[in-house]
Order: sequence, then structure tokens, then C-alpha cells
Amino acid sequence: MSKQQPVLFSIGWNACINCGACVAICPQEAGFVSPFDTIAVDRPCDIACLLCESICPVDTITHVAVMQQVPQPALVVDPSRS
Amino acid sequence: MPQTDYDLIIIGAGPAGSTTARFASTAGLRVLLVDKRQELGSPIQCSGAISGHGLEAAGIDANPEFIHEAIYGFAIYDEAGARTVHDYRQLKPDDYGSGPGKKPLGYVVDRRRFDRYLMTQAERAGTEVWLKTEGVGYQPQADGSCTVALRRYNQDITLSTRVLVGADGLQSQVGKWAGLQTHIKITELAGCLQFIVDGVETEGLLEIVTGHEWAPGGYAWVFPKGHGYAEIGLGVIATMTDKPAQWHLDKFMQQSFFRKRFANARILEVQGGGVPLAAPLRTQYADNMILVGDAARHVNPITGGGLHTAVAGGKIAADFLIGHLQDGLPLQEGALQAYQNVWLSELGDKMWKLYGIKTDIFHNMNIAQRDEQLYATMSDYFSPTSEFKKI
Repeated sequence: MSKQQPVLFSIGWNACINCGACVAICPQEAGFVSPFDTIAVDRPCDIACLLCESICPVDTITHVAVMQQVPQPALVVDPSRS
Repeated sequence: MPQTDYDLIIIGAGPAGSTTARFASTAGLRVLLVDKRQELGSPIQCSGAISGHGLEAAGIDANPEFIHEAIYGFAIYDEAGARTVHDYRQLKPDDYGSGPGKKPLGYVVDRRRFDRYLMTQAERAGTEVWLKTEGVGYQPQADGSCTVALRRYNQDITLSTRVLVGADGLQSQVGKWAGLQTHIKITELAGCLQFIVDGVETEGLLEIVTGHEWAPGGYAWVFPKGHGYAEIGLGVIATMTDKPAQWHLDKFMQQSFFRKRFANARILEVQGGGVPLAAPLRTQYADNMILVGDAARHVNPITGGGLHTAVAGGKIAADFLIGHLQDGLPLQEGALQAYQNVWLSELGDKMWKLYGIKTDIFHNMNIAQRDEQLYATMSDYFSPTSEFKKI
């Protein structure tokens, strides 16, 4: 299930019910959270187990693979920019 | 030990944290209770069922401020809709009922009001409460105390205390600060969703629907919610389905044996959460730190119920800390294991036993047999003769 490549999570806030299940299942260190009781979406996850996506009751977490560590998450999905 | 700002700093003003605070303050400890929220209990992540015994044992009045509806028993359904009913109005008519001199078996509470009520009782007992205050970290000190870093309305504050109590829920960060093994297995955390609805009749019973067809790995429920409302929800285990809880709840409402009963359901609220069907944390303490409630996974592994276990555990934690601090005993190098030992003997050992029963059921890969076992276990669990009825 685990993937080697880091991922950046994205949450569809329109469906999110702030239930916290994603944080509860997350094996990351303390602090990998957003201000809205979800997993962090502003930095890559290097574990990439995707358990948060599996547990989400409303199926509103997705991810993109991070090809390379760049400071701005919006850019990291595009390897051609590096 | 040097003078500290507080005897206890408690992070999280849910039922476990506020109950710990209330008993500790009543005994004269200096307690700071913090919560990051602006409104406790919200967004609601809980169905809100608690037994009358659970309230009473934790010194909580059954106050109309937080009660949605009184409960008098249980109905457990198998996948096809056959049911076992334990209605205590009929089983013990002298004790349970709505008439004079009789009492309800339990209640469905409004978590927003319940949590606020418990916080208020703690404040009246002397606890200082800070809302909009998040825990950031803690550091045991060489002098035997510890410091706790907080952020309150964006202001960073560091305070000293003798003990930090992590009551910060299933998403607990406090346990992670101390490096405890808090990670829960995906096979033991149910993804739950529930709707508060109008237009569905109930009969003063907590209704539990078993069956892999409706809630793989968990169960579905229909609870009375007061004012003629009901609560319809379910929890599923992600490894036993490739669909989210939302899909299963829609299916349960539209296709189950209850589809006619639910035909006029109008959704008033949407709530969700992760519910551990797991063992308690093996280690619930560290230097200057203990965990209570969901943070310590003080949750019934069969029912997923966590209110009774939270307030019971809060009282156990407070009683322990009152004695431990008054005696000036050490707080580091494993000294707080004594808390865990007390908790295990008073509550935890029974929860471990329940965990064993639950695990046996879900290790059976034959779905029909498993469904049968779960139905039988749930039916027995809520019977008047169950050895677990006080959990």
C-alpha cells in the first residue's frame, strides 16, 4: 500500500466535514495537521501510506506525487520546472 | 519540587478533560484547562449515547441543558432485520420508565451542550479555562516539573506545571509529543458518518444494525435525538470495503429493511468522525504526562462508545493525581505508570477483554459466520445479564 514517492494531499473542502478521522489514522509525527482538523495540505508527506484517503467518510482527500522538493507546493507537481 | 504556575495543565476540554479538571479542582489542585476551539463539542463527531450509570458514577447530573432524549433499552438487528430487544421498561418495570419514581437507562446528549456543561462545572469547581488556546509542545525539566507551550489567540505562552494531561482526543498530539506509540491500525479505526434527520420515528431505544451488507467492519445505528428527530449513522472499516462511509449510509437508507421507515427522512445535520474499535493505548503516560479519554483510546472496542469511558477515566485520573501530588511523589522516570495501573484495574482490563472478543469476531473471514457472531455478541452485550453492562 505504501508508496516511496512523497505526495502532497489536497482536500475538497466543500465535502470535508472536519471529522478528524484523517488525523487520527495519520502515522506522521506531531504537527502534520491543518488548522481545520485535517492532515496537512501545505507540505509533502514522505510516508505516503494514503490511509487518510481510505478512512475519509466522504472520500474528499486526493494527492499528487511530488517529484522534487521545491519550496512552493503549487509548483512541485510539474517536474519540468525544476 | 519548585513552585509551578499550575498543578495540572489539561489540553482538551472534552468530557475526559473537563471531568479530570472538575475533580482535581474540587480537591484543591490548581488547574488550567485549555481548548483550541471557540465552541466546545463542535463539529460533532459522536452519536452522544451515555448510560445513566455512567453519568452518575462521574458525578454528573442528568441535566436538561444537554439531554436530547432519554433511552430505555436497545434493539439489535441482524442483516435481514430480525431483532433482539432489551427494553428495560419491560425487563425491570419497577426501576426504568418515564413515570414517577422511575428513571431512564441512559441518554442521548447534545455534545455541544454536554461538553460546555462539563466545562462549566469544572470552572465552578475552580478550574481556569482558556478557549482558543492550542497546545504546541511540552518539556520535562530537571527539577521534576515541566513546561507547556501554548498558543492563545496567536500569542505564544509558556507555563510551568507539575503534570500535563493530554485530553486532546483521537487526533491527540500530546501523546505524539512524548513519543508514545499512538498510531492506530487502519483495520481498527472505523470511518463514521451520521445524519440527524426529521421524519423518522423512534421508540426510546438505541437501535443497532449489524451485517456486513450494511456496515462492513462496523455497524449501523438509529438513535432517538429528541424533538422527534433521529440520528442515522454507520461506521465502516476501510480495509473491508472500497467505498466511503457516505456511500454505505446512502445504501443503508435506500436499500435496507428500513427503507420504508427512512423514506421521509429529511437531513438536518451531517456529522462524522473516526471511531476506534481498538485496544487502549499500551502506554498512556510519560514524564510529567498522562493521557485520558480518546487520546488514551479509552473507547469501548465493541460499541465504539467513548463517553462513559471518558468521564470514568477522567475521574480515575483525577483521583490518582490528587493523591500522587499531595504525597509529593515523583512525576518522571516511569512514576506515572501507577496511573495506568489504577486505570487498568478499574476499567482497562475489561476493555482489553472486550477487545479480545471483538478481535475474534473480525478475524473470522467467513462473512456469514462473522455476521452471526456479531449479531449474537451485540445482542448479548446489551442484555441485562451481560458482564460488561457497566462499561
